[in-house]
Amino acid sequence: MKPPFRGFTAILYKEFIVVLRDPLTLFFMLFPPIVEMIAFGYALDNDVKHMPLVVLDQDRTQESRLMVHRLENTQTFRVVGEAYSLNEIASVLRQGKAYAGLQIPPNFTRDLRAGRTAHVQIIIDGSSSTIALQALNTALGVTFRDSVELLLTESGRRLPPVELRPQVLYNPAMRSPNFFVPGVIGVVLQIATTFATAMSLVRERERGTLEQLLVSPLSRWGLMLGKLFPYLCIGMSMAIGLFAIMNWLFKVPIAGSITALLTGTLIYVFALLSLGLLVSTRAQNQMQALQMSMVMILPSVFFSGFIFPRETMPWIFYAIGSVLPTTYFISLLRGIILRGAYFPEYWHNMLILAIMGAILFALCVFRFRRKLA
Amino acid sequence: MPDVVIECQNLTKRFGHFTAVDHVTFSVSKGSIFGLLGPNGSGKSTIIRMLCGILEPTEGSARVAGVDVVKNADDLKGKIGYMSQKFSLYDELTVSENLQFYGRLYGLTGARLAERRGALIALTHLEPYLDRRAALLSGGWRQRLAMACALLHEPPVLFLDEPTAGIDPVARRELWDLLFEFSSRGITLFVTTHYMDEAERCSHVGYIYMSKLIVCGVPDDLRNLPEVNPSGTRRIEITCEHVTVGLQAVRRLPGVRSATVFGQSIHLLADANVPDDAFRQTLAAAGIRNPDIRPIAPSLEDVFVTLTAHQERLAPA
Repeated sequence: MKPPFRGFTAILYKEFIVVLRDPLTLFFMLFPPIVEMIAFGYALDNDVKHMPLVVLDQDRTQESRLMVHRLENTQTFRVVGEAYSLNEIASVLRQGKAYAGLQIPPNFTRDLRAGRTAHVQIIIDGSSSTIALQALNTALGVTFRDSVELLLTESGRRLPPVELRPQVLYNPAMRSPNFFVPGVIGVVLQIATTFATAMSLVRERERGTLEQLLVSPLSRWGLMLGKLFPYLCIGMSMAIGLFAIMNWLFKVPIAGSITALLTGTLIYVFALLSLGLLVSTRAQNQMQALQMSMVMILPSVFFSGFIFPRETMPWIFYAIGSVLPTTYFISLLRGIILRGAYFPEYWHNMLILAIMGAILFALCVFRFRRKLA
Repeated sequence: MPDVVIECQNLTKRFGHFTAVDHVTFSVSKGSIFGLLGPNGSGKSTIIRMLCGILEPTEGSARVAGVDVVKNADDLKGKIGYMSQKFSLYDELTVSENLQFYGRLYGLTGARLAERRGALIALTHLEPYLDRRAALLSGGWRQRLAMACALLHEPPVLFLDEPTAGIDPVARRELWDLLFEFSSRGITLFVTTHYMDEAERCSHVGYIYMSKLIVCGVPDDLRNLPEVNPSGTRRIEITCEHVTVGLQAVRRLPGVRSATVFGQSIHLLADANVPDDAFRQTLAAAGIRNPDIRPIAPSLEDVFVTLTAHQERLAPA
């Protein structure tokens, strides 16, 4: 007698007009995610290159200059100036003008030629652990390789006793955009989509149009699906745009199936839009809706494994991460985009997202009251 | 009574400790224009919302178009039209799109929708504005559009919550002409307002004050209520110059129970034994000559003012 989706096409018709007629709103929906994506993508780069280095060369020989060149050739360091005392190095580091200082003492070449251990000192600004670690590793690597080569020529052996042959899978150049950019897409999509639907029902409540809808025979399923569907289309176009930027601008190749990627994205966007609708069934005004959406978004940034590996988190944060759709989406993205995973290798992520979406959507349908409070 | 369209029994709504509607009982018969009057915050909108099935009554019952609004709110929805107090159409949509949307919302499609749309556009004269965004319509035209939207599905009852609030007098009169037009087509109208002149246009009126329905009935019957016309009194209208001066003068006259200025005249309720000459003398003493004195029937405003005072004497707030 009564179709469960009464009024769905009416709401769909209206929502599409409302969304498309207001180019400013549409622009503010589509534009920030792209900017956020580009900004995040560039900012979240762990590949530290050309770190400023000051050199205190007290030896001033060909060998000491060679040492400096070798460090520069790693691309990790860039000599920005010369220091004339250890105090000066310390001062330059304090000012933040250089991340590291290299001291080559006066008797460096003499010790080297005499077969004694020659000492070089690297002074590193440890305030950023990522940078410090990379500086240390590079400097260690350079001196270690020098030493091994020297020992080889002295001993007459042609090859080192042990050699490591590394094979780095999926991201052989170990570029950090490959790791970060898919995660950025997950987070950026969440921000845009959750806000969009979180606002939509609240706006109707504020304007009084909701009351008019309540007296009509519109069903709850019809209302919710009609509200959700246009944003699903917009969310998917946005996602496709973001994947294109990832591919062309950040040069992250998509190793797996594009169909799988888009299916997963569709499920994820559906779940997020439902989350936004759930917010808008509870919030009384746009301000509340905004705050409630923020509360949902922040944990996704920190606990979803987007930046920090979840495995090292305290159990409570790990647990929070486990209930966030973003966690599973990022894991799914990294699987499909980077590792070219096949269905049996990622289906569990998709299933969890689908279950979350279904639960969230059902919740907003059942929590929505067809009466005024 | 087969032709009763709206009836409620002891309808009550409490919000926490505040009673917004207090045991209200009345009925509205088919084809009438029922005006519910009362000051802001007296509970008019709350009654309408309960009758439309979007607010649960705390106590009491109500039937609209034969449907119990509490038990069968869903069956009610196709049978009523509702225009809420706030302008509740979509600003981004054009007039034509708003009609299309509300038509679809009520399940109208194809030829049926086209026919209803056409009929209502003709009735409300919205034709020239079809492609205009609702946001750009003036108050009167917005209300016309809202009415057209509310009537697309041919409801036998239309609820209008303050349809004329904030609209200029010309548009207000035109809107009422439209309401009479609907009424002549057999639609029962339930209107809330706080304009007394609009009450005079209604076939039935109810007056609500401090959450209670104080009086309800046909305007002429209300004018003849004994509380309004205490025995041994008469109502007269004095038309004269300097009405404010005159008002002060006649108020001091013994036997005058109440007096108020009404345009260029003074309306007063006085003991029947105060003769016209007493008024003439008093006014002459105040320097006012040649007043025109004639008996009048009480206006609805007089009725409500008297009854409100009566109510306050019975139950001091």
